Amino acid sequence: MALLRALGLLLLGSSLAAAQALAASPAPSEYQVKAVFLFNFSQFVEWPPAAFAGPAAPFVIGVLGRDPFGASLDEAVRGETANGRPLVVRRFRRLEDVDNCQILFIDRSEGARLEEIVAGLHHRGTLTVTDFEGSARRGAMIGLINESSRIRLRIDVAAARAAGLVISSKLLRPAQIVDETAGGG
Amino acid sequence: MSARVTSIRGKLMTMNLLTSGVVLLITTAAFFAYDVFTFRQAIVRQLNTLGEAIAANSTAALAFDNPEDARVVLSAFKADPHIVAAALYDNSGKLFAAYPASLPAGALPARSESAGYRFGHTELLGFVPVTEGHRKLGVLLVKSDLGAIYERLRLYAVIAAFVIAVSALVAYLLSHRLQQQLSRPILRLAETARAVSDRQDYTVRAASADAHELDVLTGAFNHMLTQIQQSEGRLFAQLARLSLLQHITRAIGDRQDLGSICQVVLRSLEENLPIDFGCVCLHDAATQSLAVNTVGPASHALADELGLAVQSTVPIDQNGLARCLGGQLVYEPDVREMQAPFPQRIAKGGLRSLLIAPLIVENNVFGMLVAARRQAQAFSSPDCEFLKHLSEHVALAIHQTQLNGALQQAYDDLRQTQHTVMQQERLRALGQMASGIAHDINNAISPVSLYTESLLEREPNLSERARGYLGTIQRAIEDVASTVARMREFYRQREPQLTLARINFNQTIEQVLGLTKPRWCDLPQQRGIDVELRTELAANLPDVMGAEGEIRDALTNLIFNAVDAMPEGGTLTVRTVVEDRQQTPQVCIEVADTGVGMDEETRRRCLEPFFTTKGERGTGLGLAMVYGMIQRHSAELEIDSETGKGTTMRLIFPAHTEAFVSTLRLPAPQLVTRRLRILLVDDDPMLIKSLQDTLEADGHVITATNGGQAGIDAFKSVHKGGSAFSIVVTDLGMPQVDGRKVAAAIKGIAPRTPIILLTGWGQRLLAEGDAPPHVDRVLSKPPRLHELRAALAELTA
Repeated sequence: MALLRALGLLLLGSSLAAAQALAASPAPSEYQVKAVFLFNFSQFVEWPPAAFAGPAAPFVIGVLGRDPFGASLDEAVRGETANGRPLVVRRFRRLEDVDNCQILFIDRSEGARLEEIVAGLHHRGTLTVTDFEGSARRGAMIGLINESSRIRLRIDVAAARAAGLVISSKLLRPAQIVDETAGGG
Repeated sequence: MSARVTSIRGKLMTMNLLTSGVVLLITTAAFFAYDVFTFRQAIVRQLNTLGEAIAANSTAALAFDNPEDARVVLSAFKADPHIVAAALYDNSGKLFAAYPASLPAGALPARSESAGYRFGHTELLGFVPVTEGHRKLGVLLVKSDLGAIYERLRLYAVIAAFVIAVSALVAYLLSHRLQQQLSRPILRLAETARAVSDRQDYTVRAASADAHELDVLTGAFNHMLTQIQQSEGRLFAQLARLSLLQHITRAIGDRQDLGSICQVVLRSLEENLPIDFGCVCLHDAATQSLAVNTVGPASHALADELGLAVQSTVPIDQNGLARCLGGQLVYEPDVREMQAPFPQRIAKGGLRSLLIAPLIVENNVFGMLVAARRQAQAFSSPDCEFLKHLSEHVALAIHQTQLNGALQQAYDDLRQTQHTVMQQERLRALGQMASGIAHDINNAISPVSLYTESLLEREPNLSERARGYLGTIQRAIEDVASTVARMREFYRQREPQLTLARINFNQTIEQVLGLTKPRWCDLPQQRGIDVELRTELAANLPDVMGAEGEIRDALTNLIFNAVDAMPEGGTLTVRTVVEDRQQTPQVCIEVADTGVGMDEETRRRCLEPFFTTKGERGTGLGLAMVYGMIQRHSAELEIDSETGKGTTMRLIFPAHTEAFVSTLRLPAPQLVTRRLRILLVDDDPMLIKSLQDTLEADGHVITATNGGQAGIDAFKSVHKGGSAFSIVVTDLGMPQVDGRKVAAAIKGIAPRTPIILLTGWGQRLLAEGDAPPHVDRVLSKPPRLHELRAALAELTA
């Protein structure tokens, strides 16, 4: 719990005034943590220039389907930048709505159409992130896995590579790597 | 080897070892300090590199909240054994992960601190920020122990100790060899110094050293030794001279005369200084020459050769002697080069160096001390100084001797003077007393004299016996008168009025023996004592000029004394002898007894007035009168006396060989044929009566008055009556109006009236030319009838 509280504080530290955070903060919720994770991915992954609409285009974190984050995600990215680009959160109802987007969180509500979505995003240079069970080996590049009250990463390096993204080895260290040849869950 | 020498060696060694040790220590310490400093920097750099690598690897773990991964990353520190602990703190400063896993709680700070490196006592703490891109994700703490540094320090300490030890050994060996170059000459110097002080041998010299400074030191040391040697020599010489000076000073302090003082000084100089010739000359200001007073005992032969024997004189030449006379010490180093006579004379005796020291007292050079040696330039400066001092001492001693002599002389003179004054004072008192007595006696015996003379003249019918008795009375009275006259004058030198007559002592002695027979014959016989008289009178005894009365008295006194000296009887010898002692023959009277004699004290004092051995019976005037007579006659008195054996008194008179010249006025009886009216003034009735009787017997008319005033009144009354006295005879000493006033008054009334003054002091008045004014003639009492008649006849002629 201490770690959770620490994580919450870390999250709050980046979005709230330190005084407020230290005053009395409830333990950060699962999605508050995941929102921070989404932001952190922008730091550990390199996107090809083609992934952006233009040199001045913002770095877009998109949420496809139902939005589980509420305001958390917006708070996590407020005022932040990635590779010199301002961070923007966009929410997409449907796949068709997905435009230029560097990180796309695919909510479990769209889980049934995951393969379709991944296929649709192919060659767009979008890092896909899911957090629902059974998403592994279905094309999503990073999975956020709840493991003994912690959130762990599962990364499909091949998928990311196929999308032209370079994931930092540092990110790979604490993550589970999805092997194409081995079954995973 | 003494402790000090060892200490010098030890000090040199210590100095060398300390110097090299300290230099090594400082070098090593500097090296240490530099190395520790750089090593710490290296450690920090190393730790920083490591920390940054780990921090870079920890970003994901922090970013994605994965402590396990963080621990795995931290475990990479295992590779470095000195990193004892490490930890990750998240962005809020909370501990995120720690290494090693077994780390006890509290071993690490609970919160992160600001980035940087801090050295503790035993550890190095490094805080490395963990950033991804530009984002700070947390802080990495790395804790390294300083074992590496200490290990290095230990290693260095071992190396330094080894280097120092080796250096010290090398330095010891080197300095051991090198210090001998220093210590050896110093030790040699010290040994020399000890040898000098142990043996008091200042001729020892130290060998020179090869080092320049030590050579200088040795040279200075040797120079000092030379100086000490010379000073010591001078000191000993000075001490010897001082001792000699003291010796001489003490010796001359015991001497009381110039001769022996000079003798002692010269002998000491000849023996101890020494000198080859020495003499003392005294300066004679009158002749401007020097007289040799004393010659040193060993210098006599040389002195004779040089003509400087005692009593010889030396003229003062213009060179040395004159300068010396001016008070200077004169030193001639070589007299052969001198042209002046005195140095030439000295040079003839083979003497070369001459030193003349003045003998000065109160700025007056009264003599010179002459010293000479056979070698040229033989007197050193201290010698001159010594002789100068000595001459001052000698001069003082001589001066003191002279002062002593003068003092003794003055003392003797003073004693003599005092004695004389005392004697004169006694005699003066006696004389005054005698004058008074004489006056009274003369008055008293005047009638006896007058009547006796008158009887003998005017009574031809007297029997021969009566006439003989009267003659004796007259002689006795004259003796009394002359005795009385002498009584007040016996202390005087022979006076003009002493009338000398040619006297044959044999006759005088017969007379005196006749007069004194009762004392030497009758009285002793009554007491049963036998005094035998021996007279040994020389035949053909020359006459002697003298006052017979005085001589008679003197003999009488001597005979009485002789008899009194023989209370048990004995032999009285009276002897006259002619002696031929001093060309002129002398007549000697001896009165000798065989009585008790006189002791020395009595013999010495017996001539003093009022000194008597006879108690109440004696007046103490007998021998004093004898002595007075002897002096007046220019005679001599010898006293031989021995206690218990008797006394011999010897009166020695010069014999008279000249033709007879009498100064005595022989009595020539002549009667005044004229009848005179005489005023007689006196205060003594007896005298008035006797004078009146005798003068009236001569046919004169006498008016007698008692006292001066009565005399004047009588003269006035007669004068008023128209008549006058032919002559006035007045006494001198009267109460209230004395003879002088009477004479003055009468001369005032009748200047032509002659006045005769009768006086008990008559002879003195005559002698002293003290005849009062207005008096025509002074006659002494008792008046002799023939003198009175002569005066009356003469004055009224």
